[in-house]
Amino acid sequence: MKITFVQVNGVEKTIEDARPGETLMILGRTHGVEGILGDCGGGCSCATCHVYVDPEWQTAVGPPDEIESATLDTVSNVLRANSRLGCQIVLRPELDGLRVTVAPSG
Amino acid sequence: MGSSEAETQAQSCPAAGRGDPSLADATLIDPKILAQPNDFYRALRAGDPVHYDPKLNMWLVCRYDDIVTVLRDPITFSDKHGYEAQYASGYFEEFKQILEREGGGFFPDAIKDDPPAHTRVRRLMERAFTAHRVKTLEPGITRIIVDLVEKLADKAANDRIVDGVSEFAIPLTISVICEQLGISQFNAEKIRGWSGAVTAQIGRMQSREQMRANAAQICELQNFIIAQIRERESQPREDMISDLVHARTEDGSKLTFAEVVSLVRALIIAGNDTTATAIGNLLFVLATQPEVAGALREAVEDDRLLNRFVEELLRAEPPVRGLAKMAVREVELGGTRLPKGAHILVMYASGNDDDTRFACPRKFDLNRGNLGTHVAFGVGVHRCIGAALARMEIKVAAREIARRLGGIQLAIPPEEITYLPTVATRSIASLPLTLLRRSSCLTAQTS
Repeated sequence: MKITFVQVNGVEKTIEDARPGETLMILGRTHGVEGILGDCGGGCSCATCHVYVDPEWQTAVGPPDEIESATLDTVSNVLRANSRLGCQIVLRPELDGLRVTVAPSG
Repeated sequence: MGSSEAETQAQSCPAAGRGDPSLADATLIDPKILAQPNDFYRALRAGDPVHYDPKLNMWLVCRYDDIVTVLRDPITFSDKHGYEAQYASGYFEEFKQILEREGGGFFPDAIKDDPPAHTRVRRLMERAFTAHRVKTLEPGITRIIVDLVEKLADKAANDRIVDGVSEFAIPLTISVICEQLGISQFNAEKIRGWSGAVTAQIGRMQSREQMRANAAQICELQNFIIAQIRERESQPREDMISDLVHARTEDGSKLTFAEVVSLVRALIIAGNDTTATAIGNLLFVLATQPEVAGALREAVEDDRLLNRFVEELLRAEPPVRGLAKMAVREVELGGTRLPKGAHILVMYASGNDDDTRFACPRKFDLNRGNLGTHVAFGVGVHRCIGAALARMEIKVAAREIARRLGGIQLAIPPEEITYLPTVATRSIASLPLTLLRRSSCLTAQTS
């Protein structure tokens, strides 16, 4: 699977060998994507893997659930309608080609 | 934010602090500073942000940005070495011998290791504390807290004075973590004593006699833990101690016995101590800051606002004061050159009070856009693993207090409140309160 991160500094990083089943946070952290920190380890409690999903991918990715929305609300100054936490996006074949922009820290 | 903008905000901030105390001879372990540290922190951030404290022989890191720099670089700023240099306040060898002789062994804290060894244990523990798993615990936590709030209201009947720390905050957090661990029979007073004994080892303020008394308590704690582990080795149960005893890490290995003892010990202590401090702080601010009590009343039936209330409480009154790191090489930090081996105290509470990050920081403001960037839980690989559980406990406590209690007032003047003698946390020792059950409170108001 191919996944593209636009890092905070604007430089794109495309990962060609992403595997279904892993999360977007683990993928980004493993590949050293700038701004994907994942401090809480994927527990949806720290908002350090915040991304903006490209509009054309929003439907496929889906919206955050209530718990994720609450965590995103703690960084409301950088929150957008297409905000998601990378740790809550599990990669699956339909997301091949996904493109996200890493949000700045709040 | 530019400095001029920050300055303008500071000048217009009605909650800005008073004049800066002199930095000469200033030490964190001055009892007056330990009790009311915010002016000290502000003066250091402005004048000496990486301050050498001669009495502690440590460098106090006070600015938000420098704190994050330290915590984002766990290789240069070692948690393991900082912790070991802090441990047992200069009596380490004697302390270790007591534990080996009477406490089943000396078990180094697996959570205070450096990467990559730390990562192996961290990945395993992270699975237990996700926000989604903690959400499933809410009904059980609510039952425990409602029971304690009602008992507190009973005890406070007829204007009797209650202690918000020993009669509410501490039994609350001990009950919650013991339920998670599967410890059904426990003596909360005993666990309180054990917690104090363990946290005193990083508090830097115990005498040799106190160290010996604390070591004896820790021996008792470890013998208790070892018995709990032995029971589950033969008969696994549905609880967290069983999970640890039988867990496999990502590399397929089991935890060692020493690791399991250290992790259960860490869960019992970290699982109650700092959260109890936060809940004590909650009661204190409700009793002394009407605007915070008002903010809670407005937030109590709105889940988003209530989450924000908890987060702002953690920002404004963080339980953890300072934890140690050590520079493993010479390094520049915030304009100061630190020598190799510099022992560092990361001043979390100062970071949360830094007005270059949080405008008008003494104002309790639920509408901050960057609330989630406070450092009360730390940052980076050692970020508090139980953050979601701590938040849940504080949130349910705030909700049930607001629904069931009213008229919360200090029974002594605020300046007589004392804090535990430690650099590690800012914990109220005893919190005498008067309060009313909400129904009788409403009756009192209308009659």
